[in-house]
Amino acid sequence: MSDLSYDEWADAVREGRLLGLACSCGHTNGSPTAACPHCGSRDLERVDLPTEGVVHTETTIQVPPATFETRGYQVVVVEVGDARVMGRVEGDEVDIGDRVTLAGTIAEDDDHPAPVFEAR
Amino acid sequence: MADAAVVGAGMTEFGVHDTTLQELFGEAAFAALDDAGVEADALDALYFGNAMGGQTENETHLGPRVASHIGAAGLPVQRFEDACATSANAFKNAVQAVDAGVHDIVLVGGVERCTPVTGKETPEMTRIFASASHRQYEQPTGLTFPGVFALLTKRHMHEHGTTEEQLAAVAVKNHAHGTHNPRAHFGKETTVEEVLEGPVVADPFRLMDCCPFSDGASAVVVVGGDLADSFDAPVDVGGVGHATDVVPLGDKADLTATQAARDAASEAYEEAGITAGDADFAEVHDCFTGAEVLASEAIGFAPDGEGGTYAAEGRTSLSGDRPVNPSGGLKAKGHPIGATGTAQIVELTEQIRGTAGERQVTDSEVGVAHNLGGDAATTVVSVLEAHS
Ligand SMILES: [Zn+2]
Repeated sequence: MSDLSYDEWADAVREGRLLGLACSCGHTNGSPTAACPHCGSRDLERVDLPTEGVVHTETTIQVPPATFETRGYQVVVVEVGDARVMGRVEGDEVDIGDRVTLAGTIAEDDDHPAPVFEAR
Repeated sequence: MADAAVVGAGMTEFGVHDTTLQELFGEAAFAALDDAGVEADALDALYFGNAMGGQTENETHLGPRVASHIGAAGLPVQRFEDACATSANAFKNAVQAVDAGVHDIVLVGGVERCTPVTGKETPEMTRIFASASHRQYEQPTGLTFPGVFALLTKRHMHEHGTTEEQLAAVAVKNHAHGTHNPRAHFGKETTVEEVLEGPVVADPFRLMDCCPFSDGASAVVVVGGDLADSFDAPVDVGGVGHATDVVPLGDKADLTATQAARDAASEAYEEAGITAGDADFAEVHDCFTGAEVLASEAIGFAPDGEGGTYAAEGRTSLSGDRPVNPSGGLKAKGHPIGATGTAQIVELTEQIRGTAGERQVTDSEVGVAHNLGGDAATTVVSVLEAHS
């Protein structure tokens, strides 16, 4: 079984690092699971993902859930090496294909951190 | 082919209902039982869907409660929760149960209330809906369900050149279809210009790209194939497919494929012994206009990348060669989460019987229902056919 827990992943995000799990099938998980979601292998290697990447897709949310107070924030899925992670963008808005870099975290939702990226 | 048939179908109007969940479900259940010509004492089981009653109305363990309300206490009741694919999953399990001979006659249905009659306004209901996305890896970003489908649709626009005008064409088409559906939440037409002038919810989606919060219920009576001929208007179940995809969405292999829908469609078509081209129409899960584009490609009603073009050219209209969402879809008919899956089965049943009135698809012998849950993580595809 993989040895990367959510708590370790979240602690790393708070420290400015992104942890993933690499599988011999070629998939790298941007978020911890007990086994590879694509092939089922439990033999996964913990890897440090790059903190720079490319925007895979994005949207700007104008009608937020109750726990989020300000509208108009951009949510992105970023390609970081062989993995993808979801996060926020702060500063200038970005488009698909733009390069972004990890710039911090937000924790508006209880104590669950989300990576924050900014345009390079 | 599945050894099962739908012999009764009923639903409430979708819209705003200041009515309790069991009363709302009862209206749909009795409509289905009356349509089949049976009483509740003929039933062997109830397969029941409700996605969010615990969060929206502090109501759980609804199975025995709705069974008691319709005079069917004592029946085995199984309750399903698969986000927006809740009652399609109930339908699948009911079909498999009668196919296997576990039961002879089963009532399947769902109920949900999502409008402010629940006491929950848009921000709180948006948060409850977002609970179907990943708690640790998606929700902390402030992701919403319009946001989920916006992320998938933006990628589709990037890869295939799908435009906001094409997305708006989906809304215009489904609103036009909805004007012919007396049970639809929205009964008025709209225009591309009106859609494109609406306030942004999560770009590229504006207000009119999004289905409404609705209240409602739906139900069907499912029987084993050997019993079908003892009912007035049976419709055969050709096949049902059900698949999941990776959560969170960032870890999916392909964001625009909606792979669970492709896998479920392949399974359903194989069981029915058909290809997508043999199907005469489809009801798909258009929670957002972009979702219909992805769905019509995933079930093979449009080539990959051309879902938007097909809508804009009218090919998926009632009068087109590949009609999609003759009921008005979630967009116009409404989307009471746990009732949506079996409401699609109600529409397929009426279309195949030829009783859909103004919205009747011509030569509608084979229909496909595509019901999606969560961040494209669950999809159930069902094929219904004229009785043979
Ligand atoms: Zn693997």
